[in-house]
Amino acid sequence: MTVGTETDLDRRISALKEAVADALPPPSTDRAVEAAIVRAKRAPRQAARARGERWLAWPLALAASIAVLSFVVRSLPPEAAVAPEAKPPAARAGGDEFMPVVPIADIERARDALVVPARLPRMTLAQLGLPINPARAADAIDTELLVRRDGSVLAVRFVY
Amino acid sequence: MPAELSERLSANDAALAARVACGDPDALGPLYQRHRGSVYRFALLWSGSAAVAADVTQDVFLHLLGHAEDYDAARGPLRPWLLGITRNFAHKRTGVDARYVGNDEDAEDADAPRLEPGPEAALDTQRDLARLRAAIAALPPHFRDVLVLVELAERSYAEAAAICGCELNTVRSRLFRARALIARWLSASDAKSSAAEG
Repeated sequence: MTVGTETDLDRRISALKEAVADALPPPSTDRAVEAAIVRAKRAPRQAARARGERWLAWPLALAASIAVLSFVVRSLPPEAAVAPEAKPPAARAGGDEFMPVVPIADIERARDALVVPARLPRMTLAQLGLPINPARAADAIDTELLVRRDGSVLAVRFVY
Repeated sequence: MPAELSERLSANDAALAARVACGDPDALGPLYQRHRGSVYRFALLWSGSAAVAADVTQDVFLHLLGHAEDYDAARGPLRPWLLGITRNFAHKRTGVDARYVGNDEDAEDADAPRLEPGPEAALDTQRDLARLRAAIAALPPHFRDVLVLVELAERSYAEAAAICGCELNTVRSRLFRARALIARWLSASDAKSSAAEG
C-alpha cells in the first residue's frame, strides 16, 4: 500500500480519526478533576473568610490607634497640658506657628489642650485642611498636634 | 450540528465558564464532561502518548478552574479556546516552546523518522495507524498543530489560525507542507516494508 495519492493519505487520516473517536481520558484524570473541584469549593470559603478578616483588620487597627492615643492623652499628668492662653503655640521655637484646624473660638474654649508630637503623612494634613505639596503627598512630616483630651485635633504645627 | 443548537451549546458553555469564573467550581463538572474527549484526543494525537494526553487534559481543566475569567465568550466558542490551551500545555509537557516557529523550508528537508510500528500492531490496519501516528508525532510542532487541528480535530482554518496565533494563509501553507511530509515519510516506510517482505 502506498501513500502516493491524496486519497491514500486521506483514507489513513480518516481511519486514525475513527480509531480515536471514542477515546476519553482515563478514570484517574476524571478523579483528579473532581478532586480539584472539591478543593476549589472549600478554598473560596477560606479565601472569603480571610478577605473578611482583612477588611475587619483596618477598622480594628484604626479604632485601636484612636484608643491608644486617647489613653495616652488622658494619662498625661496635668502639668503637661498646655493651655493656649498660658503658652501661645506661636511662640514656640523650632517650627512654624500652629495652624488652627477648628474655629479659633473652639481653641480658646479648650482649657485642657495638650501638645502631642506626631509624624504624619502629608495627606493626613491635607485632610485636616492644611496646604501641602501634592507632589510629596505620600511623604511623612514631623508635626506637633494641639489636641483636646478627647483626642480631637485643634491645631497643627510643622516641626523642622 | 445545526447552527442554532451549536449556538445554544456555546451560550451554555459561556454561562458555565462564567459561573466557574465567579467562584462556582461545580460548573466545571458539565464543562469537563462535554469537552474532555476533544481535549484528550487532541493531546493524544498531538503527542502520540496516552500518558501525556491524560496529564495535559488534567492541566487544561485545572487551568480553566483557576482562569475561567480569561475566556471571553464574545471572541468565540469555548472549545477552540480550550484547544488553544491544550496546545500550549502539550507543547510545555513535551518541552516545545509554543512561541518558537521553525523554518518551514528546513522542516521539509528533515530526515524521515523511523515509523516502524511496535509488536502490538500485528494487523495491517494497526500497522498503518501506528505509522501514521508516529509520522504525526515526528512532524515539527508548528506543522503538527495545524494538521491535528484541521484534519483530525476538524477545526476550521480560521479557528486553527486563532489557536496557533498565525495567519490563515500560514495555516494553509503549513497544512500543505505537513501533508506532503507525512505522505513522503509513509511512502518511504511502505516501500521499506514491502522490500523486507519481498
